[in-house]
Amino acid sequence: MMDVATKSLTGQGIALSFGGIEVLKGLDVEFRAGEITGLIGPNGAGKTSLFNCLTGAYHPQKGAISYAGHSLEGLPPAARAQKGIVRSFQHVALSPDLTVLENVMIGVARNYHSGWLHAFLPTVRGRHEKAEMRADAERALAELGLAKAADKMPSELPPGMLRLVEIARAIVGRPAVLMLDEPAAGLNNSETRDLMRSLSALASPDLVMVVVEHDMDLVMSICDRIYVLNFGAFVACGTPAEVRSNEEVVRIYLGSDDD
Amino acid sequence: MSDHPVTIKAVHPPLPERLRELVASDLGSYVLAVVLIVLPLLVSGSWMFAIGVCFANAIGVLAVSFLVRYGGEVSIGHAFFAAVGAYSVAILDTRFGLSLLVSVPLALVLGVVTGVAFAWPSRKLSGIYLAVSTMALALAVPELINNTDALTGGYEGLYVSKPLIPGLPMSFQRYYVALAVLIAVVFALARFRHSRQGLTILLSKAHPAAADAFGTRQVWARCAVLGISGGIAALCGAMLAFAGSTVSPSGFTLWSSIFLLVGSVVSFYGLTLARALIGGAFLTLVPQFLSASGAWIPVFYGLALLGMILLGHYLPRLKEMMARHGGTA
Repeated sequence: MMDVATKSLTGQGIALSFGGIEVLKGLDVEFRAGEITGLIGPNGAGKTSLFNCLTGAYHPQKGAISYAGHSLEGLPPAARAQKGIVRSFQHVALSPDLTVLENVMIGVARNYHSGWLHAFLPTVRGRHEKAEMRADAERALAELGLAKAADKMPSELPPGMLRLVEIARAIVGRPAVLMLDEPAAGLNNSETRDLMRSLSALASPDLVMVVVEHDMDLVMSICDRIYVLNFGAFVACGTPAEVRSNEEVVRIYLGSDDD
Repeated sequence: MSDHPVTIKAVHPPLPERLRELVASDLGSYVLAVVLIVLPLLVSGSWMFAIGVCFANAIGVLAVSFLVRYGGEVSIGHAFFAAVGAYSVAILDTRFGLSLLVSVPLALVLGVVTGVAFAWPSRKLSGIYLAVSTMALALAVPELINNTDALTGGYEGLYVSKPLIPGLPMSFQRYYVALAVLIAVVFALARFRHSRQGLTILLSKAHPAAADAFGTRQVWARCAVLGISGGIAALCGAMLAFAGSTVSPSGFTLWSSIFLLVGSVVSFYGLTLARALIGGAFLTLVPQFLSASGAWIPVFYGLALLGMILLGHYLPRLKEMMARHGGTA
């Protein structure tokens, strides 16, 4: 059995540039299973670019990315998703043609493999698969307090709830690596508190969870470790207490007297 | 965090409950299907023939509507896939004496294969660029048929005469086989909408990056949509050959493709039986109704198109207004 400590998502020397502009400057990073890791930094620091490199949307010019000791080099996002590496998006990306429940069912679709015949014909296997996907999606929605919204269309829900639907879609397939890009954006205080409780409850020894977020209360409350990124380079890494007391971080977020 | 109890539906609801849900979900389609089944008792032979061809065209309209609904793209070349299906049936019938039981499945497979074969090289194209590239398919069809006349019969075409069930009148077979295939396609598409593949393809249409992040590659989605659409269009062609009894290059021109798109537009890209029949009627029955209008046919046809589009546009609002008045009365 694989040691939990080795089930981490690691990046070594990740460098990414667009047209000569260095967005990520040789980053070394380790997101460990069993921990919630925060990734913070000002706008334009490179947080989402790092996310995109880890999920396969971008391919860094230099560096290596691996999960549980296996290289992810050259794997497209869909192949990484098959390995259980999933993400949510900074801007809500749900299908307007599908109900909330159906959107969430997509998050678990990769775990099922029935063929085309079952898609078109009323076969027992196809029906069973759909019922299981539906049950999984209903469970995920209920975990986030969205059970009553299951049959609504995305256009009928406020932005905060749509954000939670995205998170439900990300968690429903029991991911190995869960990467959340600004999950609290658009949520009110009460919804953010609910989200914090929910994310803390999701943490498990096998799950690598990474959260990019601007809401410092959320990050400081739920994260075990935090990476601070500025201008494509890490300026700090440590526990919330260590990061909070780091002078460089304070300067970036609050500005220094000289600025 | 949730205050709501977790409610998980039974994996296998009892059969009577499922049947009740099925009937209640689409009662209109079932009533329409029954009406179409008894219709030959009420109409003459020439109308029965025309309605049979209308069923075949309705399948073609579904093919284009499927592409729009699931791929977000339009085609002005679907006559190509219809020709693949039509000539599969006609060649196997006239050259090899094989019945529809063999030729229709083969037509379906060839339609899917040609659809995927077109999707792969055009996978990076979208919008007007994809539409124009489909036009290339439509333009090629008549020439392809004429240049393989030893097999296809060239300009003269081929006559499809082999019955599916020997002994039964051909006129009834031409009507009912086309109707059965149309209903089967509608039924299969209704199932597909709720399938794993259907859901992921719909997400891929709206947000390709999100679908990719959950395991559905955009290229796969594009090939799947065009493959399925091509297969349905081939079934349309197969039924045009059987219900219409002849195939020739003039039945699969660029205009045929454009009228399939017109049928799809007037049916508002609907994938139900009623919507498909509205589209099919604009390819078959409406021109027949207007045939006595002489030189005015194009004008009246255009007015009918406009009327249908306006009706479809304003009907939901009218219904809403009537519901509001009904509610406040």
